[in-house]
Amino acid sequence: MTRAKIELGDVTPHNIKQLKKLNTVVFPVSYNDKFYKDVLEAGELAKLAYYNDIVVGAVCCRIDTSENSRRLYIMTLGCLYPYRRLGIGTLMVEHVLKYVEQDGNFDSIFLHVQVNNEGAIDFYKKFGFEIVETKEHYYKRIEPADAHVLQKTIRQTPSVPLLNGTVPHAKTNGHD
Amino acid sequence: MPPSNPLPPKENALFKRILRCYEHKQYKNGLKFAKQILSNPKFAEHGETLAMKGLTLNCLGRKEEAYEYVRRGLRNDLKSPVCWHVYGLLQRSDKKYDEAIKCYRNALKWEKENIQILRDLSLLQIQMRDLEGYKDTRYQLFMLRPTQRASWIGFAMSYHLLGDYEMAISILDAFRTNQMKGTDDYEHSELLLYQNMVLAESGQYERALQHLQKFSSQILDKLSIKETSGEYYLKLKRFKEAESVYEDLLKRNPENVMYYEKLIEAKQLVDPDEKVAFFEVYKKEFPRAIAPRRLQLTEALAQPVFEKLVDEYLRHGLHKGIPPLFVDLSSSSYRCMILTPQHAGDPVSAYQWLEEAQAMDTADRYVNSKCARYMLRAGHVKRAEDMCAKFTREGVPATENLNEMQCMWFQTEAAAAYKRLQQWGEALKKAHEVDRHFSEIMEDQFDFHSYCMRKMTLRSESDK
Repeated sequence: MTRAKIELGDVTPHNIKQLKKLNTVVFPVSYNDKFYKDVLEAGELAKLAYYNDIVVGAVCCRIDTSENSRRLYIMTLGCLYPYRRLGIGTLMVEHVLKYVEQDGNFDSIFLHVQVNNEGAIDFYKKFGFEIVETKEHYYKRIEPADAHVLQKTIRQTPSVPLLNGTVPHAKTNGHD
Repeated sequence: MPPSNPLPPKENALFKRILRCYEHKQYKNGLKFAKQILSNPKFAEHGETLAMKGLTLNCLGRKEEAYEYVRRGLRNDLKSPVCWHVYGLLQRSDKKYDEAIKCYRNALKWEKENIQILRDLSLLQIQMRDLEGYKDTRYQLFMLRPTQRASWIGFAMSYHLLGDYEMAISILDAFRTNQMKGTDDYEHSELLLYQNMVLAESGQYERALQHLQKFSSQILDKLSIKETSGEYYLKLKRFKEAESVYEDLLKRNPENVMYYEKLIEAKQLVDPDEKVAFFEVYKKEFPRAIAPRRLQLTEALAQPVFEKLVDEYLRHGLHKGIPPLFVDLSSSSYRCMILTPQHAGDPVSAYQWLEEAQAMDTADRYVNSKCARYMLRAGHVKRAEDMCAKFTREGVPATENLNEMQCMWFQTEAAAAYKRLQQWGEALKKAHEVDRHFSEIMEDQFDFHSYCMRKMTLRSESDK
């Protein structure tokens, strides 16, 4: 049996609608136009995942410089249900880790996960992410509304506390 | 040389230089020499020089002047084969083939055995499908140059095209035995296959088969031998032999759809059940081949087993990531949604679904074209043009570029769309554009006649 071909590709104006479609299917929250406009400018921070030349997953990140640190925030990372457990998510996380490593100037990587999403939590733990905080009522329209913050520390910066307890407004994450 | 109006040696030398310049495409120099002759008041009205001047001007794109000079030259020297030949060449370049033939005939009246004019005439006759005329001309060329290969081939071909197969076959036989000695090259092999094709066209399959077997060692195109003999066995109802030929061919290429069809014919299978079972065997024999799987589906269409087979086919294809699967079975949900309204006669929702599919990947030309086609079906000509414009050359209107590329599916659909909208003028315009493409295609054949003759690819020449 020949192995399936899994690869990452750029997000362009030609295929951006596929990203939108994918996100609508994979995530319970919807993202606004600004989100997609920024994604087009994001370069290596936004990637589509192809399984045998068909889009089945995507990852979108941005650089967060709040709280006196430089962090990579994973806004979305997802894969269509029938294509899970094939290494596609791993490929996308590895891409992000490689990006952070090559840049060499990040303090950490972080993301939000709905508290009941055990699959995702276990997945990120494999890569060295830890739950560092739980935010109540993080999501507006879905249940449960609470989110864990998962974080992987890249370098220790003891001078500045990473999360000082203020709840970022949901809009900064691009949710509508 | 002109019998009626000869030039003295000095001017005659100049005239020869004009001819040489024309052959070497040195048109400017040619005009200079013409001027040297014509500026002498004694020869200012010399017919052949005027004609050559005209022909040279034509090559420089000055068509009107060209006609003026050539006609004036001809009027001054109506008995000159050169003037008539030149007039013929001018008309030919203007695609007026009928007129050109008349000119060549006049030229030959004054110089019966001019090989060049006879050859030019034969090319025009075959282009115009004047088969009787072609035969006469090829006969004369044959008598004048009996040692040349092209003379024999052209002569034989003229009979073939007229349906006188026996004559064509015996000319080719005579040529092979007398003229082509000890050659086992590609051209010899092509000639044999051509002769074989003539035999088959005459309906003598038994004889054609024997011919093929007799010369099989000299024919280089081994695949042709196999395919053709399979064909003959079927025609002769020698099914067992046909069967083994097509089984061999399938081992060579298990993806050839025609081989499966012919094998079914040889096995005389008619019942869909039998055919489904037939393909089952070949699926096992060639597990990597797609053709038997795909063909089996078509046969199983009305059978209960269809669902299972489609499932198997799709899983196999999706797993291996075979891209044409999408096109092949219209399997994607979008295409299904499109097909349903399209077949239900709802062109508007059909195109709307396709428009959405198109937006998913605007760099996909297949979906782009499909979308444009369905827009036309729904009567949105302007939208369809805009859709196509995403892939046509920038800076030129899409319709212009599509016309330039002879994109006939678009033009035909557009004509039909305008017709439905009762915009008769626009519809007619599109229809004319398509018609013009066909004329161009016919004209493009012209250069192909002499090429085929030279390269001995006579089988493709007679297919035209």
